[in-house]
Amino acid sequence: MDDLGTGAENTWCPGCANFGILNATKKAVKKLEERGVGRDRLLMSAGIGCHAKMFDYLALSGLYSLHGRSIATAQGMKLANPDLKVITFVGDGDSLGEGLAHLMFAAKRNADITVILHDNGVYALTTGQFSPLACKGFKGPSTPRGSIEEPFNPLTLMLEAGATFVARGFPGRQDHLVDLMVAAVEHEGFAVIDVLQSSITFHDTFKEHNGLVDELDHIPDTIDDARVLAVRRDRLPIGIIYKVQRPVYHTELYGDANPVARRKPRGERLAAIRTLITPRKK
Amino acid sequence: MTKDVFTFLVGGKAGEGTKKAGLTAGRLFTGRGLHVFLMDDYMSLIRGGHNFSVISTTSSPISSHYMAADLVVALDQRSYDNHRGHLAKDGVMVYNADVVKDAEGIGLPLTSLAKTFPNPSLRIGVGTIAVLAAAIGITGDGLEALVRAEYPRDIENNIAYARAVHDAVPQELHGRFTLPEGDEARAFLTGNEAIALGAVAGGLDLYVAYPMTPASSILHYLAAHEEELGITTMHAESELAVINLAVGAASVGARTMVGTSGGGFALMEEGLSLAGMAEVPMLTVLSQRPGPATGVPTYTLQGDLLFALHYGHGEFPRIVASPATVGEAFSVTAELLDLSWRFQTPAVLLTEKHLSESRMTTELALDAAPEATGIMHAEGEYARYRLTEDGISPLLFPPTTELVKWSSYEHDERGVTTEAPNAIMSMQEKRVRKNKALVAHMQRMRTVNVYGDKGPIILTYGSTTMSVLEALRAGGLEAIVVQPLYLEPFPWWELKRFADERIVVVEQSATGQFARLVSERGGLVPRAVVTLFDGRPFDPHELADELRGCL
Repeated sequence: MDDLGTGAENTWCPGCANFGILNATKKAVKKLEERGVGRDRLLMSAGIGCHAKMFDYLALSGLYSLHGRSIATAQGMKLANPDLKVITFVGDGDSLGEGLAHLMFAAKRNADITVILHDNGVYALTTGQFSPLACKGFKGPSTPRGSIEEPFNPLTLMLEAGATFVARGFPGRQDHLVDLMVAAVEHEGFAVIDVLQSSITFHDTFKEHNGLVDELDHIPDTIDDARVLAVRRDRLPIGIIYKVQRPVYHTELYGDANPVARRKPRGERLAAIRTLITPRKK
Repeated sequence: MTKDVFTFLVGGKAGEGTKKAGLTAGRLFTGRGLHVFLMDDYMSLIRGGHNFSVISTTSSPISSHYMAADLVVALDQRSYDNHRGHLAKDGVMVYNADVVKDAEGIGLPLTSLAKTFPNPSLRIGVGTIAVLAAAIGITGDGLEALVRAEYPRDIENNIAYARAVHDAVPQELHGRFTLPEGDEARAFLTGNEAIALGAVAGGLDLYVAYPMTPASSILHYLAAHEEELGITTMHAESELAVINLAVGAASVGARTMVGTSGGGFALMEEGLSLAGMAEVPMLTVLSQRPGPATGVPTYTLQGDLLFALHYGHGEFPRIVASPATVGEAFSVTAELLDLSWRFQTPAVLLTEKHLSESRMTTELALDAAPEATGIMHAEGEYARYRLTEDGISPLLFPPTTELVKWSSYEHDERGVTTEAPNAIMSMQEKRVRKNKALVAHMQRMRTVNVYGDKGPIILTYGSTTMSVLEALRAGGLEAIVVQPLYLEPFPWWELKRFADERIVVVEQSATGQFARLVSERGGLVPRAVVTLFDGRPFDPHELADELRGCL
């Protein structure tokens, strides 16, 4: 049976939107396989949080990273072997709190990875504290009188940081989300999908989102148009909000080299060292 | 006069070219086939302050600079004031007469002579080389060839200025010193260059770092030579990014090294613990400077020893070694990368500014360097954390149709998260078995160096070993110098034979961390501990005097 599962016991809350993201990912993996991206070279990494249990439930190779560090892990995998495609699953507390710098810099350098942001506006696994994407006034155990901070807008943040593929998806529009994931993985460069996840136990926004999402019928032409869509609150546009081609980090760094697949033989390395250390003739 | 060891010291403000002059002098001596040790002393600033380079050269192997210089060239008042007390017997002080007042020695108008050329402040370092050349009997033509090789930018003005200074040197100084006879030109490398090259010889694919003195020059050197060496370097946004990029890269098969100093190492510990749990092979260079905190960025100390031995939270096999010399830095870097791959656990190379940034003539054991290889999965269904007798699970890297799951959580054999008590126990036990296998392997390796065969025992480690060896030579003292090259796992099996000996410990820390280590882990009780913790390396003569008092 090829269900892309691992047999691990699933411990998400019944009805959690993460099930929708997991199912969409499995469909996307199969679609990618049909389109030539085999799962032998499709890798994953995950941060720490409810989102990250994807790692245990999805039969893809990779590394279950630390809280906030998954985007750095994913970049390391890609840099070491650019023949691989890497999807990193991150939470909003995970990647916009603990690991914000890694998210920003991966976008800045156009690292050729795909970031799936499980955006539920709350720290769910640690029992409901406010997150970097929680609305002002959010009441949780660490903010009993309500959060006094404004949330980040992950879409505008990513546009400013230099992301070359910025999208928003919704698990309630499964096929749409699958297509977004496929497009993100196939995009050459840094791709991020802000997935409106919601937490059924601590911050259930599923119904609200379901009434607000609009599927975009085309990709905006300019970054200014993308910004207009990204800041809308009356409706929630879903789809590719911005897409542009820019040279990717690893090819800018080393062209068509591959650090692990095409190594310089030991003999050549030692010869190069000998040349370097031989004293110059006076 | 012919010197057994000839020492040249050149001091001035940052930006006056003293470091370049020191390197040029070192290369000049190296070219004569001599042994050379060069120490750069510089402050954490871009312009001004007081920097100096001291270069000692002789016809036999040398493992320290000497502060007592035969020839000092002082470009400013502070250099004159600081180093007038450093003259060796019959040493000569040459000072820049344009800026140094009420001085004894030979005054030369180095600034006024430079002012007859464009960009005088950039040229003054060339003048110090002209003084050195004159003092060791190099003619104007010989000097011109040297300047041509070392100062190619604005070459004609440099030559004219060098000749003007050479002509201004009074006759009494020309040919005052005769250098010892040399034999063959040797490699002349810093510790950081040797670490970089050792890693490449050991199979390095990727070096990731965030700049931090005194480790930064590993990054600079590898970045400058990455194409010919066939490696990749990356300067990432923080040490947190560095260590996690490295873990990710190693998990798909890249032989990876990172480098930093104490503050950056503190940030990396989270990722080192991940590498311990996920069983990720990788090498971290920790080059120490005086702490705590920002401390003294450009000086040396061994104050992070106990910190380095306990990196990362949780229980997992750790490997730490600290090389004594530039040549050993090369060999042990390759060896550590290999050990880290054999045992799939993070290794740390512990060193200090004094080794990282000092430069010495050396040989590198290129062909003896092992190439890092791990045990690879052969066939059948793969499980990343397969339970084995020695705790080492075979490796497999993508692309593969097998499932390869590395994890920061406690995991089952397939790498899937577990909280079951028996599963936790068996993985903890696997890591303990791996550590036992590591110790057994190391018991067949050279883990301790012993120099000399007569006299009391001096226990020391890291670059302080070089200071001790040179102090024994300088002072004509006899001792057996014992240097644990590996510090974790601690080689007690090699040290127990010294348990009844009279032992003196020499280290560069304020609290005697190494003495505590050899006492607690090696059962050796030192009768005296010689320490220095002002950020400067030992001077051989001063250390010899101290040792004479307690051996």
